[in-house]
Amino acid sequence: MRIAISYPPIINKHGQKAMVSQNRNVQFFKKPTYLLPVIHAQAATSVRNLGHTVLWDDGNAQLKSYKDWLNDLVSWKPDIIVFESTTPVMKFYWSTSRQIKEILPTTTIIMTGYHSMRKPEETLEKSPIDVVLRSNNIDFVLKRLVEHMDGNPFWRMSCNIEGLTFRISDAEVRSTGNFVQVEPLDDTPLIDRNLVQWKNYAYENGNFLQTPGTYATSVIRDCMFGKCTFCRYNGPDLTFSMMSVHRSLDEYESLINEYGVKEIFDDSGVWYRGREAREFARGIIERGLHERNCYFGLNTRFEYLDEETIKLMAKANFRFVLLGFEAADDETLQRLNKGYQMEHVERCLTWMTKYGLHPHLTIMVGYHWQTKEQLELTVNTVRDLMFRGLARTLQVTICTPLDFTPYHQECINTGVLLTDDYDDHDMSKLIVKTPLPHEEYYQAIRSMYAISFHPRFLLRQVQFLFKFRKRDWQFLFTYGIRALRRVRQHVFNLTRNSER
Amino acid sequence: MISNRRLSSNTYCLRTERPNVVIRAGQCFSVGTRDLGINREYSMYSAANDEFIDFLIREIGDGIVSPRLGTCKPGDLVEIGGPYGDFCLPETRIADDVHVFIATGTGIAPFHSFVMSYPGLHYTLFHGVRHEDEMYDRNDYAKESYTVAVSDPADDRSGIRITETLRTTALDPRAFYYLCGNRLMITDAISILRDKGIPGGSIYTETFF
Repeated sequence: MRIAISYPPIINKHGQKAMVSQNRNVQFFKKPTYLLPVIHAQAATSVRNLGHTVLWDDGNAQLKSYKDWLNDLVSWKPDIIVFESTTPVMKFYWSTSRQIKEILPTTTIIMTGYHSMRKPEETLEKSPIDVVLRSNNIDFVLKRLVEHMDGNPFWRMSCNIEGLTFRISDAEVRSTGNFVQVEPLDDTPLIDRNLVQWKNYAYENGNFLQTPGTYATSVIRDCMFGKCTFCRYNGPDLTFSMMSVHRSLDEYESLINEYGVKEIFDDSGVWYRGREAREFARGIIERGLHERNCYFGLNTRFEYLDEETIKLMAKANFRFVLLGFEAADDETLQRLNKGYQMEHVERCLTWMTKYGLHPHLTIMVGYHWQTKEQLELTVNTVRDLMFRGLARTLQVTICTPLDFTPYHQECINTGVLLTDDYDDHDMSKLIVKTPLPHEEYYQAIRSMYAISFHPRFLLRQVQFLFKFRKRDWQFLFTYGIRALRRVRQHVFNLTRNSER
Repeated sequence: MISNRRLSSNTYCLRTERPNVVIRAGQCFSVGTRDLGINREYSMYSAANDEFIDFLIREIGDGIVSPRLGTCKPGDLVEIGGPYGDFCLPETRIADDVHVFIATGTGIAPFHSFVMSYPGLHYTLFHGVRHEDEMYDRNDYAKESYTVAVSDPADDRSGIRITETLRTTALDPRAFYYLCGNRLMITDAISILRDKGIPGGSIYTETFF
């Protein structure tokens, strides 16, 4: 069969492209970061390994216009098209699938992603999409589905693969139930870099200090904590699974030796901790990969890595560490089920800075309960951490309820959601009732991004130069210029709905 | 910390004061000591309404948090954050529905909490352990409800894994299945449950390691 894994270019009225960001939330940017959709890349590799012809069709990363993307796709005549959904682009996908079905009526369109997996009937009702895949383990389920469909024109009648909702006829829809997704990650293939045209993602990515960079095949699927209320990796039907350390090390070795990669980021919700983290870092050192001019990066939590592990990771040439710093006040942390206390933050960042890692904070504002005091505490704490050199970079987002997470459901249940238009969930504006005028949250965003231009922050970066670490020099002179460009863009995007 | 009760050569039950919050059986807490700066998640072992919280903790050989917590003495300060999670029995199901609990090792903790919280619960518990001394607080479970599989018995008997026990046991397709323990057991057990016709919507998992 001919299978296209497709990401259409989605361009808004400001001429900005939709891009997926950390945690795969859609935001629109004029100059996007191109992130490799890791699980879909594994899915593409998996079905290709079954002997099917696969088109890796990322119209964004391939810099196509919508028209060119559509023309190219329909002229390729796929038997199956796979899309990935999230709340703010649902209406776009419903409309695009109608357009495709008019041209290719026999093509099977499969929708994946967190929004449709939570509301599968909605997508089947509002579009001609054939199948909704109700699992984040797209690689595993798609492989089973494709095997079942291959050469079987009556697959809709006989399919009992768990985790699917699909159309049997115009009037009839069938569900095969919830998919319980504990799949051994060692059973799914590592990403075929050539298949997914890895170089399209190797340069325009703010997480890379050196290029070409790439995303590793994630070692953890979903999240080993999995309880934060705003996050998609949360729900009684989700649980984490982990890839073996040696397999991930093999991939890193291959990426460095065969592809000449200079920075590798693992975008697992939370990377290894404890024994596995130490085993991985030791493995990097034993294989000599720490001396190959390649930095490594990860997502983690403040309370997950101890000093000994951080020291070992620094020796293994880890650099970029992305940490969710959702707020500085205890009430918010508690309501988000975030599970760290402020003393964890200070201690963890102190260790990371001591050993030369570059912590990056991802901050959110605009919770429906967030008071002036809570907001100011967050802004002041972030400023303090940045001025003291305990965090090197930051990114601020508006907390937007997405994809029927517990936070989204809470906003619906308590009546604080100001819109039911999915297009409004693009993280560009506050869409919940808040105790303060929305303008104050936008101002907080501006204040936090302004930290990067403050003389105290810049002076601290200059002081780091006297540690004589290459990464600190790169950070100030190479990355700094890129970062300033991105900061301007972030400020525009996140505050363009501001009155000022 | 209130007490530290040694249950086997590498497992102990840590008892702490209870924070003044609503707690549901099956939830977990992040637990650590002040000097470490890191913590780990442990399911509550005690009943939801007890005046204390128990955690069933296995010491990991080259771990950091579990050996440190094991050295704590009554009166020492431990950090606990939470409760977190939804690995809980819905109120509507507690009285009438049949529950099957499947655990390895200290993964029995949330099921102990269920059993102690809900007297009269209809349940069957399958517990996979390596050695006999890991049948923690065996007498807290109804004799007819508890099935153990010892993989490495002390005597000459051959060992059996919990997954083998599941394969050879008739399972009720109408029951709700709760699994807690190591990833490999959970992966294998889910395959077995699927093969036996248990729908995915009736299976709930909590994986911590």
